[in-house]
Amino acid sequence: MSTNLVESVIEGLKTWARVNSPWVIHFNSGSCNGCDIEILATITPRYDLERFGIKLQGSPRHADVLICTGPVTRQARERLIRIYEQMPEPKFVIAVGSCALSGGVFDGLYNVAGGIDQVLPVAAYVPGCPPRPEAIIDGVVKLLSSLQQPAPETAPAREQGATQPVYEGEAI
Amino acid sequence: MELGPVARVWHQGVPEMNPIVALLIFPGGLFVLTLGLAYEWVDRKLLARAQNRVGPRWFQPLADVFKLLAKEEVIPNDVNPLLFVGLPIAALAGALTAALYVPIFGLAPAYSFEGDLIVTVYLLSLLTLCMGLAGANTLNRFALVGATRTLTQLFSYEAPFMLALLAPAFVAQTWQISAINSYASTHWLIVTQPIGFLVALIGLMGKLELPPFDAPEAETEIVAGAMTEYSGRGLALFRLGKGVEMVVGLTLVAAFYLGGIGGPLDFLLKTGALLIAIVIIQALMTRLRIEQTVGLWWRWGALLVLVQLLLYILWEVVTA
Repeated sequence: MSTNLVESVIEGLKTWARVNSPWVIHFNSGSCNGCDIEILATITPRYDLERFGIKLQGSPRHADVLICTGPVTRQARERLIRIYEQMPEPKFVIAVGSCALSGGVFDGLYNVAGGIDQVLPVAAYVPGCPPRPEAIIDGVVKLLSSLQQPAPETAPAREQGATQPVYEGEAI
Repeated sequence: MELGPVARVWHQGVPEMNPIVALLIFPGGLFVLTLGLAYEWVDRKLLARAQNRVGPRWFQPLADVFKLLAKEEVIPNDVNPLLFVGLPIAALAGALTAALYVPIFGLAPAYSFEGDLIVTVYLLSLLTLCMGLAGANTLNRFALVGATRTLTQLFSYEAPFMLALLAPAFVAQTWQISAINSYASTHWLIVTQPIGFLVALIGLMGKLELPPFDAPEAETEIVAGAMTEYSGRGLALFRLGKGVEMVVGLTLVAAFYLGGIGGPLDFLLKTGALLIAIVIIQALMTRLRIEQTVGLWWRWGALLVLVQLLLYILWEVVTA
């Protein structure tokens, strides 16, 4: 009984820390740079994501959230997977922009593998071409609040991150 | 040990503590870790305000550390696993041990002997040395460049910083931190040794790798420097160590140059003032290249402190 209490307190503490300190890394797997510029705008002092504890990290080893933009080109595919594999558990992927969601205008090209979810388990989708910084922040916050809820009964197929999308907002 | 007037009153109110409690909870161990996190928050918050931002919430450093401790620790290929796991522990242990020799929170140091100033300065360097070794231990090219820069910077600021801490020791005629502290409580050495104060404060910034001396972890060039391959527990321990080192360094500089530390209020006011000064310098300056850092220390820092020492010796000879 007491060990259960200790465990639940520790689990609660872990979840609290994860929700309040998401460090992100940003990867462009073939985007036109529009979404990347919006992501850079999101981390400027105007939006000040340090309020939520969000910090941009350069090293995948330090990051919790991988923010991906663009369709996955066949050339970038291996690099994207390698970056993802370098991140320590637990880790989450956010797909930002129309192309990252479905391939966008690049869908069906001979050199494009499709959206991010063709390669990695995506936890949140942020639509838009490009999405506004407010939409990106909304996606991150929805992902974080989904961590506070208990895990769904149907376990994800892969261990890493969630395979089920937790956020499918409307395009702004 | 001689105490200043304020310190004497404070120490009469504090009962004799169990050595284990003093070592692990207060004023060593847990208390210093908490203080380190709090000072890290003040640093980040003030820097954010200087940049016209809202800044992190008060529990941000704590959440960061908990999250990192709960994360997986990836041990990369081709590193020495013993060193990889052991270096963060050694770094934090060095910083925590250094905290036992300085008047944390206005209390008398937990341990004190003639010459503990030298021991403390070396213990403070242990963190930087461990970070350099940790970077050099991995095969990551960013970590290697970061390790080279960390160690280069160590060799450049260490001598001026030490000279700047030795100048008060010369005046107080002792190498014992608590004795220098009680001497300084009647002599504001910042007035008589302004150069030493400046060099000590800026040397502390070099030690903590704060801007403008953050070339060793320049995230726009070399990802995260020596820390690039560290994840989870190792990174958390290094961050905690840095927080502790900040507290110890601020305490040392405040005790030596700002009229000594006689009590908790004295401690908070003086180290807080130094922290604000450090934040202002951080907000105003851009990053120096590594050779500019080395040049600054050896051409200006070391020389100016030596000139100040020479002037002091001449003064002693003339007045004798």
